[in-house]
Amino acid sequence: MSAAALERQIRPIYDAIDTGSNKSAIVGCNKLLKKYPKNDLLKALKALALVRSQKVEESLVFCEEVLASKPTDDATLTAMMHVLRHLGRHADTVTMFEDALKRQPGNEELAMQTFFANVRTGNWKAGQQLATKLHKQFHADRYTYWSIMCAVLQASDSTTPANMRDLLFKLAHRLVTSAWNFTELHADRLYLHVSILKALNLYDDAQTLLESEQGQAICSRSLACDELRREIWKAKGLLQEEGKIAEERIVEKRDRNWLEFLSFLDATVPPSPQSASNGTGLSTYEETPQRIIHAREVLTNVAEKDGTRDRSGLLALLELEQRVRAHSLSSEPSRLVDLLLQYFETFGDKAACYEDLKPYITLDAEELSRWTSYLDGLPRSSSTLSSLQRLINIYKLTRYNLPTSELTVELEVPRATKLVQEYLDALPLGKDLPNTELQPADDLAILAGQVYAGLYSLAGDEAYLHNAVAVLEFASKRSPQSYLIHLQLVRILRLLGAPQPALEHYRLLNVKQVQNDTLSHYVLNRASSFSLAATGDLTYASECLESSQIYISNSQEVKIGNSQPASRRANVRQTAEFIVRAFTGEKYSQIPDFISFEDRLDNSLQRDLVKMEHVRMRITHEPINSELINLELIELKFIFDRFHHDNRDFEILPKYQPHGQPSFLTQTTLLGKQPSLGWLWVFLKIYIKALQQASDMDYSLEEKLLIGDRPKQSAASDIHIPMEERLDSRRPEELAELTADELTFYNFTTDLADWLAPYHNHTRPPPSVALAEATKQLESKSGLPPKAVEAPASNGTGNGHVKKAEDAPPVKEGPASIVGFFDHMHKRFDALVESNGSLPEILHVASLAQEALLLFSIETLRFKNASLVKIHKLGALVQNIKTIRSSALAVVGEIGAELIKIGESEGTSEKRRAFVSQCEPFLSDLGVSDSRHIPREATLTGALQITHGDVLDVAKKVTDARKKAAEGFGKGIGRVCAAHA
Amino acid sequence: MSIIRPFRATDLFTFNNINLDLWTETYGISFYLTYLARWPDLCCVQAAPTGPLMGYILGKAEGTSTDFHGHITALTVAPEFRRLGLARSMIAFLERASDDTYGGFFVDLYVRCTNAVGISLYEGLGYSVYRRVREYYGSLGLGPGGKDEEDAFDMRKPLSRDPHRRSVRPNGRDMIVSAHDVS
Repeated sequence: MSAAALERQIRPIYDAIDTGSNKSAIVGCNKLLKKYPKNDLLKALKALALVRSQKVEESLVFCEEVLASKPTDDATLTAMMHVLRHLGRHADTVTMFEDALKRQPGNEELAMQTFFANVRTGNWKAGQQLATKLHKQFHADRYTYWSIMCAVLQASDSTTPANMRDLLFKLAHRLVTSAWNFTELHADRLYLHVSILKALNLYDDAQTLLESEQGQAICSRSLACDELRREIWKAKGLLQEEGKIAEERIVEKRDRNWLEFLSFLDATVPPSPQSASNGTGLSTYEETPQRIIHAREVLTNVAEKDGTRDRSGLLALLELEQRVRAHSLSSEPSRLVDLLLQYFETFGDKAACYEDLKPYITLDAEELSRWTSYLDGLPRSSSTLSSLQRLINIYKLTRYNLPTSELTVELEVPRATKLVQEYLDALPLGKDLPNTELQPADDLAILAGQVYAGLYSLAGDEAYLHNAVAVLEFASKRSPQSYLIHLQLVRILRLLGAPQPALEHYRLLNVKQVQNDTLSHYVLNRASSFSLAATGDLTYASECLESSQIYISNSQEVKIGNSQPASRRANVRQTAEFIVRAFTGEKYSQIPDFISFEDRLDNSLQRDLVKMEHVRMRITHEPINSELINLELIELKFIFDRFHHDNRDFEILPKYQPHGQPSFLTQTTLLGKQPSLGWLWVFLKIYIKALQQASDMDYSLEEKLLIGDRPKQSAASDIHIPMEERLDSRRPEELAELTADELTFYNFTTDLADWLAPYHNHTRPPPSVALAEATKQLESKSGLPPKAVEAPASNGTGNGHVKKAEDAPPVKEGPASIVGFFDHMHKRFDALVESNGSLPEILHVASLAQEALLLFSIETLRFKNASLVKIHKLGALVQNIKTIRSSALAVVGEIGAELIKIGESEGTSEKRRAFVSQCEPFLSDLGVSDSRHIPREATLTGALQITHGDVLDVAKKVTDARKKAAEGFGKGIGRVCAAHA
Repeated sequence: MSIIRPFRATDLFTFNNINLDLWTETYGISFYLTYLARWPDLCCVQAAPTGPLMGYILGKAEGTSTDFHGHITALTVAPEFRRLGLARSMIAFLERASDDTYGGFFVDLYVRCTNAVGISLYEGLGYSVYRRVREYYGSLGLGPGGKDEEDAFDMRKPLSRDPHRRSVRPNGRDMIVSAHDVS
């Protein structure tokens, strides 16, 4: 049959793959493979269809065959590229293309693909050399720029030694100087050129380039280049020149970019005297007074001309005054407050007013009293949108300057009640808005919520949190789209131990895509103590998986064997594709950003905090066996090698607490401690240590189970320290992130691991045995005939390489601290319950006790094997383990039973009644019986009311959720105890 | 007090205050990177000097010959920074780039027919309705606004390369096309 006929027959296979019908693609391939058993393209397509139907092991067979035949045709290479990308074998992709290129050195397309393969793996060095070759051979300008870009990227890579960096930048400089074309207007090439000059501190050259006609033309229309220009000017101390350019842009072109105003102000007077002495402003210091007068004139003019259309002029006048005062050059002390008043007059009805003025309202006593009495004297009304916004701003601004002496329960309670009243009075203004719009009065409810949170942290009384929830739930019904209200509710409901409604509000935010990375911490922080996974309710566990999808769909994921859940297998490095696109389109300014974006997402702290929480949930409901132990061990060890970035968004919650006070965010932090890198590190150490002892795996076995490339090692500072040492290290900054109970738990796990280590090391089978076992398992899954396994040469290092000839180490009693831990937790728990501690705290202690039991199970799993115990004569050890286990089970079981009792006491009508009566200050109707007679919606004035019925609904929701949280966790503990008895 | 600067990939980590708003869609990462990898000079953000983002615009250049134009794909401002003229200045930025850098004939954008505030804003900036696109916003279905809710106006503003204003027409509201006919 001819090639054309074959092509015609292959077409349906492509179509099937494109439409996701992998099954029919496989059938098609099988049919054709009978006729053409040696056809690489068919094998590659079959491998692709297999890998896309999650049949990794089967796919590997075809993959290896095709790779071994060293294909060169475009179609096969493309198909293989997709297969390897799915498998995470980027290094093999590079090799494949390089081999093909060696056979067809004149193929430009192939050369480009090889270049891109290197780009995808971040192999800048090879990329640079290849691009240089491409340029020599095919003479296109862009290949030179590719090689320049690669040199810059290699220089900027954190793994590149410092002495190499300079050399690489110099190489890039030499290349760009000779390639530079003085007539073309290519913004991204200019960007690349200038950033190289900047890296080499060749500011004069950069200035010349930027001041040329070419440079000016490009900067006038490229924000990126102009940004770079500004940095160079600043670095060169060209403040005056920059100020002149900015003035011209402000006055003549009416440019209102705040950066221009900043440049103009920097040329007038530096932000503070310190910055003046560092910079070059000093030489012209005598002229400063004249410059200030001039700047004032210019800016006053701008402010007058712009009126209410743009606030930059007035804000720049404020900034100027602030700076003048910092230099003690102020001639009219009243001017700052004058300007504040003028600003409020003009822009007081804008929502941004508060954020705009915040930097300027830290005033001395006299000014403060003038400013405050001005705000106090303003008419307060919420009859129009504009007056309502002014009212809101008055409240926010006044609150900002409340002194600590006025932050007492007696004064704050009426403030909160007043805000609720103002909120209700203002609601009618938005009554005709569709519910897709935000209510103009929302901010008053949000403010009230913050005042109540402040009261809670002041007095420690949950009643204030109940107030906050009642008001915010009411506001959320009026303004269902207000994300700030939802977020505040999430914070407060979690603080109240009501995880279910918290999660519901979080879900209403409709968090999607990359937002999962930055926002999921609001609901998944320490979520394992709210998880009811042990009872079979996987709500939180699946929330963890769902929020982690974004990392998997975006990044290189390392897959381990067939037992990895399907959801974790997708393996397309999206971002790498866009780096390739940016090369193709010569958008060099974007490439470093894309790389840093990918790095921050791949090595996101939140990603691994969620992973850790998920592991903690997982072990409560899944049987603990070698498969779970090995898989989690590999994953956690990878995480242990990462250099993390914290992308969590803590800024989104508004800060309306008085100046100098803890923010709402801090006041509503669960258990008062925010888990971060230190917390993650401690828990990684705890789990890696326990899993490693329980596992039979060593490095060679890991390699065997690993299909994709190992993740790129980051430049973390202690990566070169041996694993054991890293696991044993304890750093104060890490411990500082733990709660007292977590610290106790950490000590327990360390003592446990230290005690059992010698017996694990003695009894662990040699790696060859473990490897053979794992291979057998893998093959039984892929249904393929077993392959010969090479036993790794034993080199006497690492896990499991302990000589077996000696006698077992003498059995020592488990240290008292292990049994003591469970007794201690029991006491802690009882004390909390007696002192009416908060539910999250009670759950925290209970979950740590349960976790200790589970880790004890992991650590002692090996010694459940009776024949092993017999061979090594460890009967005494097993006896000891049994004693400890039974006392641990007793304690944890009692805690669980106790929790169920706590749950029963929640969700009762007394609890609901108490909740409602705490909210009386802002209820319209005080008795249950009255509520039916008062119209629910509006009174004569048209104002809305929060009724008894509204609050009762909220009370029910909260108390039911608390009941479920306590009872559910208690029952879960019961199950865990039964499973690990 | 708003800084205009390029939209960077890492801004995706901080745009929550803008994107949690109901009317601002959060797309997959590839959506944003597609724009940045091709038309970085048609994308920018406005940020407060202390860092928080206030709004952003994403645009592209498309079409051939006299249809070559700048297109506003996404324009959004966080609720607390509205009514400050931010949208105006970002549109001006995109128009300038479409004109100077790309040499487009016009700039166009789509707006829900019910969005009276938006339409009057754009009209104030020199845009006029070129055609009405049926069922452009299909996903929400028929809301209280009926057909107006799911139909879009394609609004255009001629640039300096179109001095005779050939890219606009006076009776655009009556010119109806279906969503399949537009890109």
